[in-house]
Amino acid sequence: MNRLLLKKAILECRTLWLGCAVALALFCSIRVWIVAQFSMERFQTIVEQFREFEKLSPVPFEQLFTYAGRIAVTFDEPIVVLCIAVWAIARGSDCVSGELGRGTMEMLLAQPFRRSQIIGSQAAVTVVGAALLMLVTWLSIYIGVQLTTVKEEPPPATWKVPLFGFEVPNLLADPEPVEVPMSERVDSRVFAPATFNLFCLTVFLAGLSTLLSSMGRHRSTTIGIMVGIYIVAAAMKILAVASESWSWLRYGTFFMLYEPQAITQMVVKDPSQAWVIVTQASETEPAALGPLGYSLPLLGLGVLAYLLAGLIFQRRDLPAPL
Amino acid sequence: MLIETESLTKRYGDFAALSDCTMDVAAGEVFGLLGPNGAGKTTLLRLLLGFLQPTSGRATIDGCDCQRQSVAVRERTSYLPGEARLFGKMRGREVLDFFADVRPSSRRERFHQLAERLELDTSRRVAMMSTGMRQKLALAVTLGAESPLVILDEPTANLDPTVRAQVVRLVMEAKQAGQTVLFSSHVLSEVEEACDRVAILRGGLLVHTQAMADLRRRHRIRATLTGTLPAPPADYGDQLTVRETELDQVIIETPLQLGPLFGWLSNAPLAEVRIEPVGLRAVYERFHGETAHDA
Repeated sequence: MNRLLLKKAILECRTLWLGCAVALALFCSIRVWIVAQFSMERFQTIVEQFREFEKLSPVPFEQLFTYAGRIAVTFDEPIVVLCIAVWAIARGSDCVSGELGRGTMEMLLAQPFRRSQIIGSQAAVTVVGAALLMLVTWLSIYIGVQLTTVKEEPPPATWKVPLFGFEVPNLLADPEPVEVPMSERVDSRVFAPATFNLFCLTVFLAGLSTLLSSMGRHRSTTIGIMVGIYIVAAAMKILAVASESWSWLRYGTFFMLYEPQAITQMVVKDPSQAWVIVTQASETEPAALGPLGYSLPLLGLGVLAYLLAGLIFQRRDLPAPL
Repeated sequence: MLIETESLTKRYGDFAALSDCTMDVAAGEVFGLLGPNGAGKTTLLRLLLGFLQPTSGRATIDGCDCQRQSVAVRERTSYLPGEARLFGKMRGREVLDFFADVRPSSRRERFHQLAERLELDTSRRVAMMSTGMRQKLALAVTLGAESPLVILDEPTANLDPTVRAQVVRLVMEAKQAGQTVLFSSHVLSEVEEACDRVAILRGGLLVHTQAMADLRRRHRIRATLTGTLPAPPADYGDQLTVRETELDQVIIETPLQLGPLFGWLSNAPLAEVRIEPVGLRAVYERFHGETAHDA
């Protein structure tokens, strides 16, 4: 890494980062507010209509009947995934093929920089930028949870039957809904592992884009291939989940490692499992992937892609700009 | 020698972009590279800078291997690409500061002085600059570095005649300051004015190296042949070349004094005799003109 290269990379990406950060901040906090607007009973009634599609949901529907479960859906919302994909692909593709395409790599490499410094500085800014975007995402959810209230109907009042001593509900009394702070129902810390999962997906996508960029000459080609990979991977996940006969596809798509809702469910059920690789509910149940079991392979693949990109960039010929 | 190449070759499959190039450039020399597009000039420069891996052969700059010690090479070199493109989001002064800070030995003032000399508006963003302005900015960045070796790949492309002359002056100043300049250009007059030696490339081969001092001494006699030309004076030996063209024209060239030749000429069956200094164009056309021949 190099101070000047870091400064240059920050200058180049600050507008993109700011755009993504504002979009994530607004969307996540508004999303929490929307969750608070729907009464749980009404939401449950709506969702129950779609029981047959439950297998397409990453978590059982019961998870969606909790505030934490409904907020965790935010991580699967297209806007959130799109924001991080834009950040990762834009930054990764710019790293080598972007500079080559613009012709600026010539002047840059004519200076006494090592090629590893050039790619390393870009990677550092991308990863730190992604981490800050995650912080913005989590803080927005946290602020949303702190500022919103939910309306709940208290259990009906009861009256004691004289002589018999038991209580019966007072059906004549109109139950008054009460406003409860969302923070009393949801602990924002349960979203930290899901946010980390989102961060790992960002690093993976950025690493893969950088790898393609290190081999290419035109940024548009890199972006095109990345978008293609992204769409195919998403389609593979949908097919794998939708049909048993296609379930083998799950081993070919990185999206099977992006499960923020399932991760949140694990943490809600047992907060002590928030940062484990493998989780086992009981001795009779088989071991399953824990939150880190999903996130670390994504992170590892991302780092591997960055290392390969560095190796390729180190050895490749740099053609004259067209 | 500051630059040395030894059988430097770059092939892309069957296509040889540069073949078996062996040359050297002394410290303090201004060395020109001439040749049409595709002759191998840019490939040679990119191999020197370590942008390309050679297929075979090697190159060194100041004793540093251009492939294995590429960073050390670039510490000693500043390079202006053919079509220099700079960071569009930065302002001119930010670009100057960036490149000045890259090299600890550089002075920001020098970069800014050069920009001022080239009448550059450094407050403007690079993206808002014209092609000529961007080229001037890149020139200021390259020449401001005060490195031992300056490599200029067509530095006057996109520049108006006034600035072109200024560039040649800057190259001369670099030479006076003890810098070595490797100068690739299509503009023969600039190369002729600025260079000490010139290499001519054709189809990836270095076909001729010409010392400009020799060229300045060299004269050419053109005449119409009206009979059979007698044998030239023996004193000249192989220092005299005589070429007869299809249209009864004869071209006689020598790098030696013309005095002793006049006696022979006066007896030769020649008409419409013209004596002129041999310019670089004549040498260039020998390899790239319509009557080009193998060296």
